[in-house]
Amino acid sequence: MAEIKRGQAKPAEEEEEEIITEDNVFEHYDEPQGFFPNQVMADLTVSFALLVITIILAYAVPADLVEPMDISTTDYVPRPEWFFFFLDQWLIYFPGAALVAFGDIAMPIIFAIVLFAIPWLDREPAYSPARRPYMVVLGFLVITAIVLNLFLSMVRILNFPGGSPAG
Amino acid sequence: MTRIRDRMAERGRDVADWLEERTRLVSFMEKQLYEPTPRRGMWLYTLGSATLFLITIQFLTGILLLFYYVPTTKDAWNSIYYIMHHVYFGQLIRGMHFWGANLLLIVIGLHMIRTFLSGSYKPPREMNWVVGVALIILVSLLAFTGYALRWDQEGFYAWEVGMKIASYTPLIGAWAVSLLLGGDTVGPATLSRLFVFHVWLMPAILAPLIGVHLILLRLHGEFGAAFEYSERLAKLNKRKQYERMEEYFASDEEEEESSRGE
Repeated sequence: MAEIKRGQAKPAEEEEEEIITEDNVFEHYDEPQGFFPNQVMADLTVSFALLVITIILAYAVPADLVEPMDISTTDYVPRPEWFFFFLDQWLIYFPGAALVAFGDIAMPIIFAIVLFAIPWLDREPAYSPARRPYMVVLGFLVITAIVLNLFLSMVRILNFPGGSPAG
Repeated sequence: MTRIRDRMAERGRDVADWLEERTRLVSFMEKQLYEPTPRRGMWLYTLGSATLFLITIQFLTGILLLFYYVPTTKDAWNSIYYIMHHVYFGQLIRGMHFWGANLLLIVIGLHMIRTFLSGSYKPPREMNWVVGVALIILVSLLAFTGYALRWDQEGFYAWEVGMKIASYTPLIGAWAVSLLLGGDTVGPATLSRLFVFHVWLMPAILAPLIGVHLILLRLHGEFGAAFEYSERLAKLNKRKQYERMEEYFASDEEEEESSRGE
């Protein structure tokens, strides 16, 4: 038979507090939560919103389909999709055979290589954007250049005779 | 009522046990569903799953479009016109494919910006960033090839301009154009190749890369911005401050002792 101890119980042992160092500071979150249910619900909410948006757009603004391809037309003004507007704008800055190759082939390839290499280019150990200003400013400049060129190209295309979707 | 509920719960447990014994599915789901994720900034982390959702929509609507799309120069435009005007829900399916592609490019861009700003590419997550960049390039190429598949004036001339630019590539320009056109000029072979790139080749590369992206994410966990770790960072800073103070006082005492000795 087990012996029953009488008297005051000894205090519960305190859990050893983790010593936080620069190496382990990012190993656990402050107050983590399970992926299910909160994050799953947030993901489903956003996905559902996107589904509704695509369905509404599908009926409200039907997908483009202009006249069939006709190689003999001479008055058709080709325009790229919006996601290639910034590349289209670069053709203005880099005209001529040699410069086109530089602007629309060499530059995007260099840009892609730099994108791939970002983890090795950013050697700053800090994660916060405020503590790695060079990378953040560089990233901001690249995004600004893309968005600005996108709008410049859009304005140019819309002002070009026959460039607007209507005409 | 209680008895029915108990019987139902028991049956549910039986099914779960049966599945677990044969597939280990229950323990797998438990591991995946209850993995710790950051509590703050929860909505920022929905961009990755939103991207995956839109890619799934693209796959599903793309498969449905293939039931009617004919990849020949004579019938490509007509088949799309037919889908839009005569097929049940044709306008919806094509519209969802078209707008889904546009939204996908926006969402994947935002996902990349979030990853960049939070520094989520830092060790040991470098390879996930590399795979992510490959995915964004693939998605852009899919959008470009899909644009030309409708074989209308817009798509055709966009492809023509693209080929013109590609022809300026030093050393491999002519070869690349010949590969993409399937000859010297735009023709039936061009559309066949576009179809192969858009429907077979690129999705065949994209799908396993998405798998690798998700496996790597699960391996190293999600990384948010530094604010997810603000309490731990505060503790670290406090400890470092104490250490600095201790060092300061220790050096003061040493100085005092050495001055006494003199």
